[in-house]
Amino acid sequence: MASRGYAQSRLTQTGRAAQLWVIEWWRLVHLGAIILVLTLSPSSYSPQSRAILARHIYVNTAPILLWFTVLCALVTVVLTRIVLVTALSYGLSQYALQVVIRVLVLELIPLTAALFVALRCTIPDGAELTAMQASGELDEMRRQGIEPVRREVLPRVVAGMFSGITLAALSCVVALVVAYVATYGFALSGLAAYTRLFGQVFSPAVTLIFVLKTLFFCLAVSLIPMASALYGMVRGQRAHQCRDAWAGAHVRGDSAD
Amino acid sequence: MSSSHDNPTPPPDRPDPLQPAREARQSSPAEIASLEFKARLLLLFMLLLVCGSALYVMYARGAFESTQRLVLIADDSDGVVVGMDLTFSGFPIGRVNRVELAPDGKARILVDVAAKDAHWLRTSSVFTLVRGLVGGTAIRAYTGLLNDPPLPEGAERTVLLGDAAAEVPKVIAAAKDLIENLNTLTGEGGSVGASLANLKILTDRLNGPGGALTVLLGSEAEAKKFAATLDRTNALLTKLDGLAAKTDTQVFGDKGLMPETRATVVQLNTMLGEARTSLKKVDALLQDAQAVTRNAKDATADLGALRADVEASLRKVEGLINEISRKWPFAKDASQAEMKLP
Repeated sequence: MASRGYAQSRLTQTGRAAQLWVIEWWRLVHLGAIILVLTLSPSSYSPQSRAILARHIYVNTAPILLWFTVLCALVTVVLTRIVLVTALSYGLSQYALQVVIRVLVLELIPLTAALFVALRCTIPDGAELTAMQASGELDEMRRQGIEPVRREVLPRVVAGMFSGITLAALSCVVALVVAYVATYGFALSGLAAYTRLFGQVFSPAVTLIFVLKTLFFCLAVSLIPMASALYGMVRGQRAHQCRDAWAGAHVRGDSAD
Repeated sequence: MSSSHDNPTPPPDRPDPLQPAREARQSSPAEIASLEFKARLLLLFMLLLVCGSALYVMYARGAFESTQRLVLIADDSDGVVVGMDLTFSGFPIGRVNRVELAPDGKARILVDVAAKDAHWLRTSSVFTLVRGLVGGTAIRAYTGLLNDPPLPEGAERTVLLGDAAAEVPKVIAAAKDLIENLNTLTGEGGSVGASLANLKILTDRLNGPGGALTVLLGSEAEAKKFAATLDRTNALLTKLDGLAAKTDTQVFGDKGLMPETRATVVQLNTMLGEARTSLKKVDALLQDAQAVTRNAKDATADLGALRADVEASLRKVEGLINEISRKWPFAKDASQAEMKLP
């Protein structure tokens, strides 16, 4: 009897967890859709909103741009040298630059830029939003007739995406230049071959995947912290409720035994 | 997320999270304008970066260069991918634009050759498709005669295939045949085994009583015969030595054949000297005979002149007699009147 009650409570708990998971993802997608619509709506760019957006864009991008670029250049130099020397020792030097471009520009830089933006900008922004939610400032806004999503969430998401795309683009350019200099030195003689190699790597399909990957990385790191901030408290409350219910069932089961 | 929920305090290096919105609301118009200007600069920078990157990708893909179409026909397009290079002397001059299957079942590789490099391709150019064991496939162009007419637009050429990987099965099959042959040779009853057995027999015979002679002559009895033959030959040689000593005495001794021959030769030399003297005398006689003959020839010439004089005298006498006969009046008839010469 006790085992039946335990299984029932376990099943209920699993069902609730799945329901929560689906609801969370649905809210995330819903918020993404709202942000997209708001981004494309001209009404979101009123003078006051523009000022807030400009501030977020500047604060999220400008301070980290230089450091991330320097870091990216250093990593590119080290990786390029390693790959070049290794490829040369194995007699595969003709593939070294291609490997560098594929690994660095196509794979590492978009991911690193997105993670960097997440750590430096969007997660703190999410914490900021959480604090506003906790202090009841967002509810105050709603009472005053101001939509918090338009006022507080949209600028942060757009700034995060802008920051991620800018970092990724600049880092790609810097990585390409540094890889060229590390391979050919400060000479223009290898530019034609390098450009041709770059064209071979960036076929239309690869370019499309690269662009989409960068965009979706940036969207994910911008959107998820905001969604967690907006809906996290509800989930947190529900999680607490679930934990309490499970603990209660456990205690009842033990006492029945 | 629960941690952020439990501890909503901002990170120490950032300002108060509630500040931006508040500051934005409380900033002066000049600050807002400055901020907007900086944000616009950043936006412009990002747009420049993205547009520049897009243009560079298009340039690298050859979107802005004029090209000439070349169609390569191959039996197999394995390893050929869109975007790979067509190289001439190691330099890329074109790239594969499309690979399609022709109605006759062959692969059509459509290559875009850059217009500025198209002059390297001539009507006599040869195209190869090489597949290496390591690395990708390469399409190469070779032009032997650069004075030939240029390759026309849309020209179709058959590409020559050079597949290193395709040679591997052949090499493996050949190696397998070789190993089988080796097994046949070295196996029991094989040629190598038989040879080794023969070699063993040979070695045994070499170590046997007859030694190498038994090996050469086939049996021990033959070897004994050979040894007897050698003994007899030795005896014969001993006899020949004696014979040679006698011959030496007879030929080269004091009264041998050679000294007498030498005396005969001396006599012959003397006789030859005498003969030479006689011949000189005969020579002088012949010279005299030549002189006589020359005199006789001169005398014969004088006799000719004399005969001419006599004939002239005779003609004159005949003329005189004819004159006398004509003037002779007393003759009865002409036949009587004719004077006869003596």
